[in-house]
Amino acid sequence: MSDKNTTHFGYQEVPVDEKAERVADVFHSVAGRYDLMNDILSGGVHRLWKRFTIELSGVRAGHKVLDIAGGTGDLSYKFSRIVGPDGLVVLADINESMLRVGRDRLIDRGVSGNLVVSQADAQYLPYPDNTFDCITIAFGLRNVTDKDMALRSMLRVLKPGGRLLVLEFSKPKSQLLSKVYDTYSFRLLPIIGKVVTNDADSYNYLAESIRMHPDQATLKEMMENAGFANCDYHNLTGGIVALHKGVKP
Amino acid sequence: MTDPTLIAAATAGLEASINTALQYDPATRLRLQALAGKSLAIEITELGQILCIHFDEHQIRCNRDAENPTTRLVGSLPGLINLAISERVNLADSDVQAWGNTALLSDIKTIASDLDIDWEEAINDWMGDVVGHQLAEKIRLQVGWLKQRSQSGKRLISEFITEELRAVPSASELKHFSADVDHLRLAADRAAARLLRLKQKLSPQKPTL
Repeated sequence: MSDKNTTHFGYQEVPVDEKAERVADVFHSVAGRYDLMNDILSGGVHRLWKRFTIELSGVRAGHKVLDIAGGTGDLSYKFSRIVGPDGLVVLADINESMLRVGRDRLIDRGVSGNLVVSQADAQYLPYPDNTFDCITIAFGLRNVTDKDMALRSMLRVLKPGGRLLVLEFSKPKSQLLSKVYDTYSFRLLPIIGKVVTNDADSYNYLAESIRMHPDQATLKEMMENAGFANCDYHNLTGGIVALHKGVKP
Repeated sequence: MTDPTLIAAATAGLEASINTALQYDPATRLRLQALAGKSLAIEITELGQILCIHFDEHQIRCNRDAENPTTRLVGSLPGLINLAISERVNLADSDVQAWGNTALLSDIKTIASDLDIDWEEAINDWMGDVVGHQLAEKIRLQVGWLKQRSQSGKRLISEFITEELRAVPSASELKHFSADVDHLRLAADRAAARLLRLKQKLSPQKPTL
């Protein structure tokens, strides 16, 4: 943030009040083909990243899980099977279009009873203190206007001993991979976006927002500053994505 | 350190294979329901890797989340493979250590021994009933032929080593030799008993009650 009243939207500086609206427009635009695009752009590897997130969550039967920016419900589906009928999964997303796609998809897959769908802003989570055993936010934190506020909000609704898992694009470890990745993100990705969804701008924003997102060490420090303990991260696919974990003390 | 993405891919592949196989063996799937909620962690010492198998009601999950498993097995890869394929269920001299509820191991071995996957149904689902059945028939014939060749091959090698090379005695020779040894041992025992009785007879002191 270069100024108190502005924040970044990709490489652009926009007023703070405007960012949420512009991010919402991006996701309204891509919601219908979000899953297809994820599979195409990552070659299906996003499923492995999410799988590793579930492994590290330590979620068990009867737990309460909050899936922030859950979008089309990939993580919520898996969690709902793990927590069983005695547990609860809250699929939360700020974007109505994404949430609608996720809700319909989960109903179609037969998930019911232990799943609640909730339209919520990560910065102002509308849940009581100490509610959840685990919170996940997958590919959502970089779109949040005030990340520190969102992390503090997550800490508040986690139970003591509960885990926060942040799965997000990060900085590749090797220079070579970084160059290949940059070429892919800025040249190929918008073209694929244009061909499949007829929306190159949204995928330009995706590439730019990834570059503007804090790197592994910075995000870890932000989690520690928010009050999380035992913070750590795992680099996935050479650091293209990182999974950060923190525990509420 | 191996990238977690690769490990996630390996466990996802294993999990998908097992769950797909279980789809074609409803009886085993039903028996696995009794293990729902339990988990088996396997730690391979050479690789420094943990694989945890979680049993759910309708499927299994494979991952590295080994927090508080029902049973934890730690051992070398050959030791673990040997334990998996052999009939034995005890761990003495097996190079494998177990913690937690070892009855789970016995339950898994019992269920695995009754595994009966309807692989013809799997082929039919993939290729259709007519082509699938023909392919299954061909595979069945080939497998039968291979089994027969394997059995006759074993017999021919055995005969060559015992009869032609005379490198080792044949099974029947070994059996006769063992019988002769047993016979000799019994005869020696009888002779020793007679000798003892003779000694007692010749002895001046009679045994007292």
